[in-house]
Amino acid sequence: MSENAMIKSKGTILIGNKNIRGELRCQDDRAAFYNVKNEEVLAIEYSHIRALKNVRNGGMASTITMKLADENQYELMLNTGVKVFNHMYAAWPGKPTQKSRADELHRLAELRGEKIQKPKKHLIKRRHPNRSIGGDIGVYLLLTIVAVAMGFPLVFAIGSALKPLDELFRFPPTIWPQHPTIDNFSDLIVTMGQSWVPFSRYLLNTVLITFLGTFGHLIIASMAAFVLAKYDFPGGRTFFNVVVTALMFSGYVTGIPNYVIMNSVNIIDTYWALLLPAFAAPIGLFMMKQFMESLPTALIEAAHIDGAGEFRIFWSIVMPNVKPAWLTVIIFSVQSLWNNSAATVIYSEAKKTLVYAFQQIQAGGIARTGQAAAVTVVVMSVPILIFILSQSQILETMASSGIKD
Amino acid sequence: MSNMQLGSFGQRYFNMKANKLRYGWEKAKRSKVCYLFLAPYAILFFTFFILPICISIYYSFTYYDILQPARFVGLENYINLVLQDDVFLTAVKNTFVIAVITGPIGYILSFMFAWFINELPKWLRTIAVVVFYAPSIAGNAYTIFSIIFRGDYYGYLNSILLDFGFIDAPILWLSNPQYIMPVLIIVILWMSMGTGFLSFVAGFQGIDKSMYEAGYVDGVRNRWQELYHITLPSMKPMLLFGAVMSITSAFNVCDVPRALAGYPSTDYAARTVVTHLFDYGFSRFEMGYASAIATLLFLVMILSKKLIASALEKVGT
Repeated sequence: MSENAMIKSKGTILIGNKNIRGELRCQDDRAAFYNVKNEEVLAIEYSHIRALKNVRNGGMASTITMKLADENQYELMLNTGVKVFNHMYAAWPGKPTQKSRADELHRLAELRGEKIQKPKKHLIKRRHPNRSIGGDIGVYLLLTIVAVAMGFPLVFAIGSALKPLDELFRFPPTIWPQHPTIDNFSDLIVTMGQSWVPFSRYLLNTVLITFLGTFGHLIIASMAAFVLAKYDFPGGRTFFNVVVTALMFSGYVTGIPNYVIMNSVNIIDTYWALLLPAFAAPIGLFMMKQFMESLPTALIEAAHIDGAGEFRIFWSIVMPNVKPAWLTVIIFSVQSLWNNSAATVIYSEAKKTLVYAFQQIQAGGIARTGQAAAVTVVVMSVPILIFILSQSQILETMASSGIKD
Repeated sequence: MSNMQLGSFGQRYFNMKANKLRYGWEKAKRSKVCYLFLAPYAILFFTFFILPICISIYYSFTYYDILQPARFVGLENYINLVLQDDVFLTAVKNTFVIAVITGPIGYILSFMFAWFINELPKWLRTIAVVVFYAPSIAGNAYTIFSIIFRGDYYGYLNSILLDFGFIDAPILWLSNPQYIMPVLIIVILWMSMGTGFLSFVAGFQGIDKSMYEAGYVDGVRNRWQELYHITLPSMKPMLLFGAVMSITSAFNVCDVPRALAGYPSTDYAARTVVTHLFDYGFSRFEMGYASAIATLLFLVMILSKKLIASALEKVGT
């Protein structure tokens, strides 16, 4: 469906006490209700409303009810009972908002051929109550200093990885190399090529474990999160509280008994020793469940009425609607699996992970200082890059991460 | 007469309980599908997270070295830990110092910076989030600190201090017991803006702006009042989540001291409870003893979570 597509739905709208028949037309950035005479009765800009995607993508609704809740707010109801947006600011005829009034003035000015002075965008949005200018400067100075301090070691690591051998041991040491080179990285490849187990094997292990572990975790944790978030059944709440407590278990605390358990079910020195605990990581279930709580229950009830089974509801209604949470779960899972050297449960060299191989190089002492720095950069860049690419979705999920006690 | 009343009351109470149980059982039978959905996760979770804790508690009362079957020794492990193991006491002291300093400071810093960057424009906020969050996901990037704090002339900090003439000879940052702890605390603080920080950033974004408008009308005068009366109460769930994350990372310090200060470190100056556990569990194979350490650590963490949860209850009221 293209971005500019217009979707029409016939319906009635309730404004005040009056029911008006007509149709709702949804475009990519606004929805407007037109009456039978094709006059615009009501318009709503909804560029930031995620839930409205249902309507934009065709949705399941044929009739839509718009209800004026009070002076500023509308409720939009689909005939399936789903509240699409609730309490949002909107413009409607008779009382233009400040923004639409400004837009209108601009449009008129343009028609008259006047030059419009665009309002200056302020770096810091001022609002009431204000900090003093001094306070602002202080805060942003502090932010800058701390940001530099936080970033310095990472920049230093990258700098070291790019230094040729003579600069690595120069006195006084420099942060950034004068003659940057990628020798360290190519040396790293040479060293890995000479290792007993081929480099590609380590890479394959890591990719396989990360992929399978993340995929399995996503499915299993989402299934559990779905019923925990949307159904009330005996034991559900207790189970979730236990999972929240389990957020605090580190791998070391459970390491010894885990070894004993894995030993008794004969999965030591297989990929399962890494995969099975990763499937059940508490953080993924926690994030997923908290995010799914915000899904409208009516959506699921409507599907029930339509005769969909639980698994169908889960697979074709719930899962497509929690994509931001997928990404977050994937990030956390990839992060922990990628950084897992698994030295305690995997013995065969051929089954060890990339990070383990890298750590062996880092342990190589002074002679491998340059390569060790290159390793640090390679290892850290993967999770950081994934985070940068997906940070907006992750933050969306984190907004529902709180623990309600 | 009164006896009969009591009897009938007891009967009623019993009936009520039985009804409740029956009702619960009926409900459970009706939600079979829910259990089916929960089962794969629940089984794995039980096997790899709950069972280990139970086994750990059991082993903590035994002598167990993997080769021979566990032998029950009662409280001996705990008694030895507290009364005989001086290194454990050092480890407890170090962990306590690290947890008390980095836990609250990391937590407060995460919150403060999330607060500060909240009003920045989106692109700048994104950069700030990435810069602050990157150290905690950067794998073992903390090993770079072993170059910065290296004990010879080539160490970055040493060379700067020598250059400016603050010191005459390089300082052995990572092997001198006097300096190890401060260095570790700095490195751990560097990594402390983790998942909790992200949760705070998202929490600030999610606060209903009209709450602030209402606050001004009700007489909120400055930022601190705004923070205490509006922001903090609406972020309580995130605050608790952040606290859980802070406790976890503050008590489970292990990789950083092992990588930077060596293992074992000079005079056990960088020994923490978890490195102690690691030592007994994975180097000496005294599983019973290590399990006793794990059990104690676990109890302390649950206790601190409860304390913080009850402290957060009072915020903003």
